[in-house]
Amino acid sequence: MPTFVILRLALRTLWRNPLRSVLMMLGVAIGIASLTTLTSVGEATKRQTLAEFKNMVGTFDVVNISPGGGRTRGMPSLTTVEPTLKFTDATAIAAQVPGVTQVAEVQNAFDIDVKYRDNTTASAMYGISANWLQMHRYFVAAGNLISPDDIQSLARIAVIGPDVQRDLFPGEDPIGKQIRIGNVPFQVKGILESRGAGPGGSSLDNIVFIPVTTASKRLFNRDYLTTITAQLKDPDDPEPVIEAITALLRERHGIVPPGEDDFTLSNPRAAALQVSDVRSTLTTILAGTAAIATLIGGTVIMGLMLVAVSERRREIGVRRAVGASRGDVLRQFLVEAALVSALGGLAGVSLGVGAAVLLAVQRALVPVIVWPTVGAALLLSIVIGLVFGLQPAWKAARIDPIDALRS
Amino acid sequence: MIEIEHLQKTYQRGDGTPVMALQDVSCVIADGEFVTIRGASGTGKSTLMNIIGCLDTPTAGIYRLSGEDVSGYSDQQRSQIRNQRIGFIFQSFNLLARTTATENVELPSLYRGEAVDRDKARALLARVGLADRADHFISELSGGEQQRVAIARALMNDPPLLLADEPTGNLDSAAGAQIMELLTELHGEGRTIVLVTHDEEVAAYARRELLIRDGRIATDRAQSTLHAVRSAG
Ligand SMILES: Nc1ncnc2c1ncn2[C@@H]1O[C@H](COP(=O)(O)OP(=O)(O)OP(=O)(O)O)[C@@H](O)[C@H]1O
Ligand SMILES: [Mg+2]
Repeated sequence: MPTFVILRLALRTLWRNPLRSVLMMLGVAIGIASLTTLTSVGEATKRQTLAEFKNMVGTFDVVNISPGGGRTRGMPSLTTVEPTLKFTDATAIAAQVPGVTQVAEVQNAFDIDVKYRDNTTASAMYGISANWLQMHRYFVAAGNLISPDDIQSLARIAVIGPDVQRDLFPGEDPIGKQIRIGNVPFQVKGILESRGAGPGGSSLDNIVFIPVTTASKRLFNRDYLTTITAQLKDPDDPEPVIEAITALLRERHGIVPPGEDDFTLSNPRAAALQVSDVRSTLTTILAGTAAIATLIGGTVIMGLMLVAVSERRREIGVRRAVGASRGDVLRQFLVEAALVSALGGLAGVSLGVGAAVLLAVQRALVPVIVWPTVGAALLLSIVIGLVFGLQPAWKAARIDPIDALRS
Repeated sequence: MIEIEHLQKTYQRGDGTPVMALQDVSCVIADGEFVTIRGASGTGKSTLMNIIGCLDTPTAGIYRLSGEDVSGYSDQQRSQIRNQRIGFIFQSFNLLARTTATENVELPSLYRGEAVDRDKARALLARVGLADRADHFISELSGGEQQRVAIARALMNDPPLLLADEPTGNLDSAAGAQIMELLTELHGEGRTIVLVTHDEEVAAYARRELLIRDGRIATDRAQSTLHAVRSAG
């Protein structure tokens, strides 16, 4: 029997038993709807996290080099890193690694006291080269950024974040005012635009930038860096640059096999993807529940199909008498199961997409529909129909036509 | 041509004891014959019909249909024979209930793998006198009408052999006579007809009668005279 004839036949049978058909679809529909909603909301959340992460790090198109082998946890700072990464390493990378357009230097520490008159606050302190701010897309709301001249002249100037401004200069214009950072006087040169919150909601604005040369020679008195940031010519292919920098630094630091690297390279895009991919336990439990619902939907189909097979013994006998083979009967029932399950899946996907859009809007996320997942869900519903339809179809095919016709 | 040699059929009862439905049946039915099979209840008439109709397989013996030994055929092969070379007519009609007369008549062509010929189905319904019932559901038809739908269905794939197991058993005599007239007409067109019946009047339409007793053919006799008398009358 041609496939379209079997399909039409199955459709007609489902149509003539509407209540049973709806019951059969229900479980699969609920399961598939939950799966669709979960993946869509999950993806929307993931994209949101990724956007927040990018906002925090400013750029994905770089490779960051920090001192110390093995991945150090958390953000590097002067108090935690090994003194192995030097200014000359940065210069060498800029001069010798082909895929690198420019290199920025960082010397940073956290919880440094900053004072203005009687006001004190603790903020993150970043000594940076002038290009670092451009690379990471920092802009001033007032005043100016740190310039190459400031780097050259070891200027004692600072660019402060909005939180620092709020804490030290309530109702006062900070530009040109003198602040003290660990007892060294600095002049406020600029105020940054707000960057809002990073992942987890902590403020990104409690920060002070000063020239990296000034930080090294006049504030911290350290000649090593906490981070070197190398900008990539081809952001989509960081691997060759990572290899070249690794080889160069191993040579410069005199490391030979089996010696391990005394530095760590990372690509923020990869890191961000890792962070945003961490699924919560709740999501996993919900996804498991949805999967179980789908399976229960499958067993409902199986149960109702088994009943249907018993009720339709005579029909099966008639079909066999006029020329249906066992295979024809098997196919007929399998297609019915697959079709009803697929229709359930279709209903589920529609429901799920609707719910995902509503939930996203409600949680102020951009709604994301993951179409490959939707396709996979539909495919899953067909597979469920086939798997759970197998036993009823097998039972139908094995019915003895003589017995069935006599009944 | 149907050739049967030493056919045996043993069933297992539910409790495991064997039942010999057919002991040893041998006979030849030529193309174009009209044969009735008669006998007491439980003597194996339906069993023989089901084997001839390729719905069942013999336990032992040989069954040749048009020279082909079909005893060892696969389910697929036997299904194809049922579909294209045999038309069944049952005592209890065996139509699909919540389906129209036309759809029932079309059913055999679905399993033939060709496009459904609706016009042919309607022409067959007209031929059995049901042109105005073509779109009725089976539940809306009388017993006699249902049996005529079943005959139209049996003709859908133009089989040379028609097997009727007590086709008038559930009908009153008028409706039964109508069915027998139809079968006689079909025999006149050259189809082979094998008919199981208890009823001597029904058996009288045929030219030859096989009497079955205890799973064997007890008598095999021609009755052309009787038939001729009846048709003349
Ligand atoms: N599937 C089966 N399992 C066990 N025994 C069976 C089976 N089918 C038929 N029989 C037995 O085989 C014998 C012949 O049955 P069959 O149906 O061929 O008789 P019949 O001549 O058609 O009778 P009737 O005139 O009542 O229709 C009977 O004794 C019946 O009980
Ligand atoms: Mg019988």
